[in-house]
Amino acid sequence: HHQCVNGWMTGCVKRFGVLKRYTNTGHLPFKNSAGQFFSSGHTNNWAVLVCTSRFWFNYRHVANTLSVYRSVKRLGIPDSHIVLMLADDMACNHRNPKPATVFSHKNMELNVYGDDVEVDYRGYEVTVENFLRVLTGRLPPSTPRSKRLLSDDRSNILIYLTGHGGNGFLKFQDSEEISNVELADAFEQMWQKRRYNELLFIIDTCQGASMYERFYSPNIMALASSQVGEDSLSHQPDLAIGVHLMDRYTFYMLEFLEDIHPASKTNMNDLFKVCPKSQCVSTPGHRTDLFLRDPGSVLITDFFGSVRKVELTMDAINLTDPIKQMEENPVNGEEQKEVYSYADQLPVSEIIHQKPKQKDWHPPDGFILGLWTLILLVFFKTYGIKHLKHIF
Amino acid sequence: MAAPLTLLLIVAVTIRAALFRSSLAELIAERVEVVSPITAWKRVVEGLALLDLGVSPYSGDVFHETPLIIYMFHFLVDYAEITFMLADVITAVALYMAVKEYNKQVFRKQKFALEADRYPMDSLELIRSPKEMYYIPLKVAMFYLLNPFTILSCVAKSTCGLNNAVLALFFLSTIKGNVLLSAIFLCLATYQSIYPITLCAPAMLYFMQRQYIPVNFRRVSFWWFIVQYLFMYLGSLFVLICLSFFLLGSWDYLPSVYGFILSVPDLTPNIGLFWYFFAEMFEHFRLFFLCVFQINVFFYTIPLSIKLKEHPVFLMFMQLAVISIFKSYPTVGDVALYLAFLPVWSHLHRFLRNIFLVSCVLLACSVLFPVLWHLWIYAGSANSNFYYAITLLFNVAQILLVSDYFYAFLRREHHLTNGLYLKRKDGSEATLILK
Repeated sequence: HHQCVNGWMTGCVKRFGVLKRYTNTGHLPFKNSAGQFFSSGHTNNWAVLVCTSRFWFNYRHVANTLSVYRSVKRLGIPDSHIVLMLADDMACNHRNPKPATVFSHKNMELNVYGDDVEVDYRGYEVTVENFLRVLTGRLPPSTPRSKRLLSDDRSNILIYLTGHGGNGFLKFQDSEEISNVELADAFEQMWQKRRYNELLFIIDTCQGASMYERFYSPNIMALASSQVGEDSLSHQPDLAIGVHLMDRYTFYMLEFLEDIHPASKTNMNDLFKVCPKSQCVSTPGHRTDLFLRDPGSVLITDFFGSVRKVELTMDAINLTDPIKQMEENPVNGEEQKEVYSYADQLPVSEIIHQKPKQKDWHPPDGFILGLWTLILLVFFKTYGIKHLKHIF
Repeated sequence: MAAPLTLLLIVAVTIRAALFRSSLAELIAERVEVVSPITAWKRVVEGLALLDLGVSPYSGDVFHETPLIIYMFHFLVDYAEITFMLADVITAVALYMAVKEYNKQVFRKQKFALEADRYPMDSLELIRSPKEMYYIPLKVAMFYLLNPFTILSCVAKSTCGLNNAVLALFFLSTIKGNVLLSAIFLCLATYQSIYPITLCAPAMLYFMQRQYIPVNFRRVSFWWFIVQYLFMYLGSLFVLICLSFFLLGSWDYLPSVYGFILSVPDLTPNIGLFWYFFAEMFEHFRLFFLCVFQINVFFYTIPLSIKLKEHPVFLMFMQLAVISIFKSYPTVGDVALYLAFLPVWSHLHRFLRNIFLVSCVLLACSVLFPVLWHLWIYAGSANSNFYYAITLLFNVAQILLVSDYFYAFLRREHHLTNGLYLKRKDGSEATLILK
């Protein structure tokens, strides 16, 4: 894998060399774009989107998660790289007056539950244990790929959590909670196992900032919808559906993300400005001290999208390793045919020494002789030889 | 009496043939009350198949019958149904002839006792007449052949039928007075399942009575006869065991047959008392309870022999019943054998006290066995306790039956010596209690 990267890098260096000639003639945008080429070291993008609360009145948390899912998918991350965990089914909930839909805007403007939503962990599978196992990769061997976070050290991971929380914890399913210490330790495990290149952690709960206070692993950037002691508030109820549809922070983040397209150059500093206190009532917070790069140079699409870096060139490039040619068979020689056959699955004839005919076992002759001699002896002893003439 | 017997045989064979041809045969062959891990026909076929493949039939804990059974069925496996029907017929005919002979002896003894004036006057109504004893052999054969237990056992092709045939032949040869044949048949029966060894005692007592050897520990003739009989018995057992070795060429039938019977490793439910106990026992108590249960079978021999030394045939009946109840893998075929003897003691009917209860319980339990099995295994709404309760009840009923006959027999003997209407010393009426 690293070889691939090195090969790519050397190839790019060559191309950079090509570019350098061009920049000498004065193509500045190329230099900038080339600079941005190597700014982030990631090659793939993952997203872990978790909604931790169930029950109909927590519709907005599912809508939050689904709207982030929608944006992330729209910007290019495929379903195979998204782990979507929804603790309850709102689209098919009995109380949903519009079944198979989850709306994020009132008046049902935007249905975030489309035709191609793939939920990986649903219902009671969304537990603290499963979430931590997904993050650290410690899943039983029987877990399918869709339920695994198969990230490597060149992955940028977006982790989005929403639900009900408090100072230092996030509630899962109304029965258990995950603490900020656990989360920080999980991220450290991920770092030590080289499971991420950079991590963006967004949390939309009450007192969300407490969740990122304890992080200590490098390359993590964290955003939260409210500070410690503040509640995150929901945005707007829809009177037809009867519940609040979204939380404020995610609502404005969704509006912000709707303007992002795969080629946009918007950076993280713009994301930090999403939902000011006037709109959100709570104060969103962020944490960048563990992040090595300057947030201003981090593109939104570095985390929210899966942007493949493609560089067009008109030059022919010599690849470094020559490809070995296969030796052809001599045409004039006879074709060697190897006859292949399947090996015997169960060599029965070797296990059980089968004799060709049935009922081959015969009692030993000595036995037959001895037995019948005995029987005759007993018979004659009992009845006497003089009775023979009466019998025959 | 040959004609009614022949008619009975034909009827019995017809019933069995009809059941063999019907679809009930497979159903019956897998019922646990009728077949046990020792006697199942499926296992015999399995053993023969293993033998044809060149593997010892005792490998793999499948086959637990003796090598002589393999020898017999190696040639007879295609005629298995006829073999088992023939075994039943042999049993019935042997019992018929034996009981006829026994009745003759009983009547003769009674005649001598009457002439010697040994019976008090008021017990003369207890005397048996040839007229009432005339149909007893036919009744015995009928009780055996038409007993539903026997029919089930035959249709299931359980080797218990063969065991019963050997025991019936032993009984016949004992009654006829042939010491050698009796020893040999008893040896065959013991060779197949260990428990008939307890029938040595009644057989020896009978022969001693017949040859007028007094049953007295201080007499040389007593011990000499015992030595003779045991020599014949143990000699034929030794010969049989060596023959079995030569048949298959190995000794591994010994742990598979006798080790299996004695150590009870297979806890498939049956109508006996072993399986439930040993299913829930802790391992370190297992040997102790195994010894207790197995001693229970052999334990009653000596006390019963001492009490019934004048009546060895009744002792044989009691012994057969004890074996059928307390053996490690009983089936209804074993029960049928001693039930066939009941007409021989039909004259005790006025002293039997619990016969209604016992017959009702036996009937109810026989019906409830398949019901509770279905509820436990198939419906899942009962558990093994239900089935074991019925097993316990069945065995309690059997024990009650046997003890009731024992009581009646002893009471009749007592009345024969002391008169029917007992009076205390002051002349008032007394009652007799069995303690």
